[in-house]
Amino acid sequence: MPVGPFGIDPTIWAPLRLVIAVLLGVALVFNGALAQIYLERKIQAIIQDRLGPIHTGPWGLLQTFADAIKLLGKEDIRARLTDKWFFLAAPSIVFSPMLASYVVIPFAPDIVGADLSVGLLYLTTLGSMTVLGIVIAGWASNNKYSLIGGLRSAGQLISYEVPQILSLVTVVLVVGTLSMVGIAESQPGWQMNFLILPLAFVTYFIAGLAETNRNPFDLPEAESELVAGFLTEYSGMRWAIFFLAEYGEVTVVSAIVTTLWFGAWHGPFVEVFPLLGVLWFTLKTYFFVLVFMWIRATLPRLRIDQLMSLCWKVLIPLTLANLTITAVLLLAFPTTVVPVAIANWILLALFVLALPYFQRRRLVALRERLRTAAA
Amino acid sequence: MAVPLGAFIAVSAVLFFIGTAGVLVRRNAVVILMSVELMLNATNLALVAFSRRFASIDERGSVFVVFIFVVAAAEVAVGLAIILSAYRNRPTVDVDEIRQMKG
Amino acid sequence: MDIFGAAFFALLTIGTIGAGVGVVLANRITTSALLMAFTFLNVAGMFVLLGAETVAMFQVLIYVGAITVLILYGVMFTPQSPRPYGLFFQTQKYWAALFVVPIAIFVAVVAFEFRDSAAAGGSGGDLVPLATSIFGDFAFPFEVASVLLLAAMVGAIVLVKRDEE
Repeated sequence: MPVGPFGIDPTIWAPLRLVIAVLLGVALVFNGALAQIYLERKIQAIIQDRLGPIHTGPWGLLQTFADAIKLLGKEDIRARLTDKWFFLAAPSIVFSPMLASYVVIPFAPDIVGADLSVGLLYLTTLGSMTVLGIVIAGWASNNKYSLIGGLRSAGQLISYEVPQILSLVTVVLVVGTLSMVGIAESQPGWQMNFLILPLAFVTYFIAGLAETNRNPFDLPEAESELVAGFLTEYSGMRWAIFFLAEYGEVTVVSAIVTTLWFGAWHGPFVEVFPLLGVLWFTLKTYFFVLVFMWIRATLPRLRIDQLMSLCWKVLIPLTLANLTITAVLLLAFPTTVVPVAIANWILLALFVLALPYFQRRRLVALRERLRTAAA
Repeated sequence: MAVPLGAFIAVSAVLFFIGTAGVLVRRNAVVILMSVELMLNATNLALVAFSRRFASIDERGSVFVVFIFVVAAAEVAVGLAIILSAYRNRPTVDVDEIRQMKG
Repeated sequence: MDIFGAAFFALLTIGTIGAGVGVVLANRITTSALLMAFTFLNVAGMFVLLGAETVAMFQVLIYVGAITVLILYGVMFTPQSPRPYGLFFQTQKYWAALFVVPIAIFVAVVAFEFRDSAAAGGSGGDLVPLATSIFGDFAFPFEVASVLLLAAMVGAIVLVKRDEE
């Protein structure tokens, strides 16, 4: 390419692009965390019919800064630990893969840190590395509750990787490339992948909720269970790093959803002003972040055995069936994706309609069992 | 000066023998399992190095590596299951003490 | 710019061999497990240096993401009382050294016979050829591998189940 994008010489543009993408990533993480903490409290408050933070600054906007100052000033409590180095390293092991994920996220046409040909595989790999940090955090706290919380969380995370990866593979089958930029470019204008693969979107969203330890799957870190699980012994800034990692991971999952199913940067006027793609991408990503928070404020928490049986008995067969049907239909009709779309919408409708049916059957069986036990 | 292929093979060989020494020398069964994983990694490194050197002819080394990943994962799972059931009998994983089948 | 490749390789070599030695010689098992994870990461780095990015991603995904967690579970469920026990088999360590060290030196020296640069052929990464090989020429071993994984999973669950009598 003799002339790079925006008319800049390509040899300057390559490292400049990397710097811009890294800065965008860091900005999204830190400002995003600030924004998300405030948004979470406000949105939960509004849904729960109360006010949320209103004193610090207009509409409570400075609340997060006040929280950050408080956390920085907290005493760094360290009980008698099994291993100081593991205890100190665990927050970093959880935080670094999340930060490294921002390299492949396509913010706009040609604003991406590195266009890896295996971008999606890179993101799933980084998602699986956070499990190690959580196990180490749980173990290094020298506290039985932390250990159990850490191992439970690790079990949940590795179980939900399977439906997550299967949903992503379904999209890759239809699109034909693992590269994030390629996937974003394959959805011009209004032809978003959501219209073709809605069931994969739903299963990936549920698995993503579980992967980021968000409600209704936040048993390992819930405040009322197991004394906050593997985070018990972490105070002050170390706890804040875990939470930065969680909000950053939520943003990454939302960014993946936006790229794969909703046409990353596509929107009105983006061909004329390529930089406008950043705006559309951020808006779409934050829409999904808000959906995460909405779900958190609405649904009750699942127990660990309910959570695991949801993964292994419902999500994995569903994603496997989705993948098989998509693959078979793509082989049978290689030129068009309409049969795949029809099959997916039918499967999604069946899934949504089957839920109350199965719940009613389980409720009846449970009542029978209780009645015979009481008699 | 690009890195010569022999350097990769030498690293793979040294790692393999470190793993062998670990298997021969340590008493804890889980550490022996970890050393076996080191040996498998060394093999993977050698295979991928040769495969990429001759990639214009054949890419089969990398295919073999993927199958080694599968077998290693299965082996760790079953090995740990065996260690855990042996631990239930007598609370030890010291291979010097688990010798009921000896002699 | 090739000095970066050589420097990176030197760094990865030190990481790999150092962490490998640490796995064998470390006093505590959890240190061994984490150094093993570090070895896996360094080997993945070497795969990237060779141009095999897909294999590197699989390495991190499977080894660091899953096998390390499995081994940590195994370590945590088999706690030993912290008595001072020797690292080595009592009589076997000298025989092991005698066996391992000369052969290692011999193989490492012979390895330098390969003087051509690595990654000389095939510059485009290995995703497409790898995928076409696995699902084309090697479809049958792929299916057998899936049966193997199923058998391993069922076997592991059966072995660890407590007898609820």
